Amino acid sequence: MKLYYFSEMPHHEFPDAEGEKYSSLRLDFPNRFFDPSIAHANYRRYLDEYEFADQAGFEGLMLNEHHSTPSCVNVGVNMTAAILARTTKRAKLLLLGNILPIEENPVRLAEQIAMADLISGGRILSGFVRGIGIETWWANINPVHNRERFEECHDLIMKCWTEPGPFRWEGRHYHFRHVNPWCLPLQKPYPPVWIPGTASPETAIWAGRHGYTFVPFLVPFEIARELFDFYRQGAAQAGRTVTADNLGFLICAVTADTKAKALEAGRHFVWRMGATLRGPVEYFAPVGMRSRAGTQFALKARPKSLAQMSYDDLLAGHFIIAGTPDEVADRFAHVQRELGVGHLLLEAQESRMDHPTTMRSIELMGAKVIPALATL
Amino acid sequence: MRPREETLSVGGIDVHAWVGGRGDPLLVLHGAGGNRGWTRWVEQVSERFTVWAPTHPGFGRSGDAEWMEGIDDLARFYLWFIDAAGLGRPHLLGHSIGGWTAAEMAATSPRAIDRVVLVAPVGLKPETGEILDVFYYPPPELLGMTVHDPRTIPEWDALFGKTPTPEELEIATRNREMTARLTWKPYMHNPRLDRFLPRVTNPALIVWGREDRIVPVVCGEQYRKLLPNATLTVFERCGHLPPIEQPDAFARLVLDFLSAPAAPARGHATR
Repeated sequence: MKLYYFSEMPHHEFPDAEGEKYSSLRLDFPNRFFDPSIAHANYRRYLDEYEFADQAGFEGLMLNEHHSTPSCVNVGVNMTAAILARTTKRAKLLLLGNILPIEENPVRLAEQIAMADLISGGRILSGFVRGIGIETWWANINPVHNRERFEECHDLIMKCWTEPGPFRWEGRHYHFRHVNPWCLPLQKPYPPVWIPGTASPETAIWAGRHGYTFVPFLVPFEIARELFDFYRQGAAQAGRTVTADNLGFLICAVTADTKAKALEAGRHFVWRMGATLRGPVEYFAPVGMRSRAGTQFALKARPKSLAQMSYDDLLAGHFIIAGTPDEVADRFAHVQRELGVGHLLLEAQESRMDHPTTMRSIELMGAKVIPALATL
Repeated sequence: MRPREETLSVGGIDVHAWVGGRGDPLLVLHGAGGNRGWTRWVEQVSERFTVWAPTHPGFGRSGDAEWMEGIDDLARFYLWFIDAAGLGRPHLLGHSIGGWTAAEMAATSPRAIDRVVLVAPVGLKPETGEILDVFYYPPPELLGMTVHDPRTIPEWDALFGKTPTPEELEIATRNREMTARLTWKPYMHNPRLDRFLPRVTNPALIVWGREDRIVPVVCGEQYRKLLPNATLTVFERCGHLPPIEQPDAFARLVLDFLSAPAAPARGHATR
């Protein structure tokens, strides 16, 4: 099983009591609490940690993007990828991902991903996501068009990567009279595509039909298994065989020299489960964004929201894994046995977890955990 | 007079409608909350006019219209509906997004309709203030902001006091989805509508609630200035739902306006 390093690049340097005055840290919490001098230092620190994860032997570096929130100030997944494409040597760069429904120019997106792939020497894993409602508000894209735009944006990117230009595109949501990108991916026919999932059966089926790698995020094992079943349905429709390489899973994880230190560091993940996901349902799932099936499944998938769980609940449910290298290796192997996944994505830095703790965790993962899991 | 229910097929969409009353036809276009049926004010107005109250495509029990992109589509659809239903040249009354639709219809085809009643219509960008972002709030909280004082509303319990059935919840979700489809961006207005409203010389009555927290009352002034033959009436102690909040006064005002022998003079009124 292959391990991936991920940080949301949080900006949690504000008094929590200030954040609690607002209905959500996303959208509402005013950006006067954003501190450019701190952000300057943080970005450099987070990039250093990614570079160290490359050296430590992680299979890949996962990058994501959010907006209008202190939980993630990585506001341009392709911008970060372009930096790491140049400053790292061997790890895959997993963009998870570009938020297709809010994209106004899929051709530019196809070009930017291709450019990062070229600079990195073909190390891009190109994840595409539907995004959460927050990004729909931020971009002011009609939520009822979310899935249509996701699919049309995807189709146009794929056409850019697989068919010679120039050509014209007249779709429902995208219109380009002259498509002829002079920047195409190094990997052929195109960089591997990854799709995350938390609740939509339709997304899992769609990913399976296309043979893309599918990664549930922070869901209970039984829900991940159900989503994988939907994925297999889609794969079967297209006559595809599903292997462990098609399946991934995302959890939060940290290791340290002692169990006590690891458990102390792991508490930082509770912030992302609770405080950063607090807010009205309208913010996270505006009307029309989810299908009825997706809404039903989301209710089932989260009988108890992550925000309602204690640290002990989150540890017991394997949403967070924290321990010595031997202990986390054992738990990762447990995840692998339970779900049969080939890729384990580790959200490995969060909230106010400091630089030395993060670096030591990366170092220990590289020295002890990654080798222990290499044969799984 | 009890209404009948009809389903008309227009442009391939089955449109559910309440129809009843006697007299000249009056087409009534509902707001984002959906078609509330034969409420008290409709009952009173239907004594002298034949009320046609269709449910918009994508709302309630009408068919889907996922191809629609904006209120201009809905306006063109209802001009077609007028022909399909054989309404001749009806009076037109619209509330909120139905008011915006009515304004677009009048601006597109002023001779297809007779007199126009716009009740707290969206459609124009307020000169001051903002139209409340109705998608940003949970529905129960939004309802509280929609009216001025529930205790003064005679039909409050009948309309809002019951726990909704699963079917009613599904319809409420559907109504919100279709509203989002039609009004998301530019939010609740057409930046070019003001260019076309001066064409509408039809007698027009604009009605607003002084305490409207959804659409600023300044929009009523904007409509009055842009429409060459319009009066504005503002109800005191009233929010965004004048027909529901003050049904008797509202029905009387509408009946007076529609029955007046000549077009009323321009001006203001306060009730």
